[in-house]
Amino acid sequence: MLLQGKNALITGAARGIGAAMVEVFAREGANVWAFARRPDDAFEMRLAETAQRYGVWIRPVYCELSDTAAIKEAFRQVMADRQPLHVLVNNAGVMGEDRMFQMTSEQEMRQLFDVNFFAMVEVSRLATRLMARNKQGAVVNIASIAGLDGDSRLDYSASKAAVIAATKKMARELISVGIRVNALAPGFTDTDLVRGLSEKVVREQTEKILMKRKARPEEIANVAAFLASDMASYVTAQVWRADGGIL
Amino acid sequence: MNNLEKYINAFAESLEVAPDQVPALKYGESDQWDSVGHMSLIAALEDAFDIMIDMDDIIDLSSFEKGKEILGKYDVEL
Repeated sequence: MLLQGKNALITGAARGIGAAMVEVFAREGANVWAFARRPDDAFEMRLAETAQRYGVWIRPVYCELSDTAAIKEAFRQVMADRQPLHVLVNNAGVMGEDRMFQMTSEQEMRQLFDVNFFAMVEVSRLATRLMARNKQGAVVNIASIAGLDGDSRLDYSASKAAVIAATKKMARELISVGIRVNALAPGFTDTDLVRGLSEKVVREQTEKILMKRKARPEEIANVAAFLASDMASYVTAQVWRADGGIL
Repeated sequence: MNNLEKYINAFAESLEVAPDQVPALKYGESDQWDSVGHMSLIAALEDAFDIMIDMDDIIDLSSFEKGKEILGKYDVEL
């Protein structure tokens, strides 16, 4: 198992790629702090079933990521468990409906950046301080091919480009304490984020992909598990595309 | 180990200096206490006293003595 004995913190764990990550990381032997926005019985039941199936522990932690004080409180809960943190996956993100930048307000853009970028930085700041205690760790920041190709709405693409730049800078600073930092750039993935897109956009996006289909969330989670694992021990400061082949 | 010993030990281990050198340390004035060493020091202090230090205090923690004052805000008596 790729992550046997590791403890991982995954944000945005309730849905989409994050939910798949909880499943894949548990399958690979990791214990998980599953960060989600608000309490949800179905979510907790799913976590309990997954934990039992794979013989790991999975703890739900509820936190509004646009609220710095709430992030700190969530980390107090993590610290209270008195377990070392080995892996952070910054997965939480918002996209919003597809729209030209001329039609997108500054306020909307700032709100999107609050979650996609500033929350990622704050969570990373606190998590890597925990990792630094043990002089080891791995961070996987979920970016997007939009951050490389700029083919989504402006604020989303720009926020993911910021995640990629932050990944490289974090990697430079954190290698001194044994922490690897990489970005994973998923392509068109079958999640709620893209289910709201028009048929025309879906058709156009799919046509560009060599595999002619969307990714399944677990296919993205598998790559994250690899980057988080010791199998990727010589990989840091990289952006790994998982896009089904877009040339 | 009392709190003062834990405090000195956090500096000594994270910055890799002898305990008797610790009281004179100031941020940026030694090779050991640079920005990388600072991060290790903060991690060591948080671990030793089971606290989460705020960003403003991380920036302000610029000497051994200043650190004592800051830890006081987190109910750590030295």
